[in-house]
Amino acid sequence: MADERRSLSGLTEREAQEFHKLFVTSFIIFTVIAIIAHVLVWQWRPWL
Amino acid sequence: MWRIWLLFDPRRALISLFTFLFVLALLIHFILLSTDRFNWLGGHAPSSAAAQHMSTLPAAPSQ
Repeated sequence: MADERRSLSGLTEREAQEFHKLFVTSFIIFTVIAIIAHVLVWQWRPWL
Repeated sequence: MWRIWLLFDPRRALISLFTFLFVLALLIHFILLSTDRFNWLGGHAPSSAAAQHMSTLPAAPSQ
């Protein structure tokens, strides 16, 4: 505990890196699903 | 980039993000439902020429 300095958010650097990995993965999955949904809606009724 | 989580508390950031995305999604869905063209619950048929042409296709000949 003594070697791990606490930051403004209360996370250690290791915890921040771990959370960031999960966050980026989730963001990519969300984006892929959103792109698929937009392609399907464009095929249904294009809006431009 | 990961250093952002040293500044912002992940719990608050996630709650804020989910709340924002949910409100945005709700807004977009209701806006689309309010239109004729993108209302997917019944509503009127699209008024584009292509769609009208599609509806007048002759039926396949029966034997």
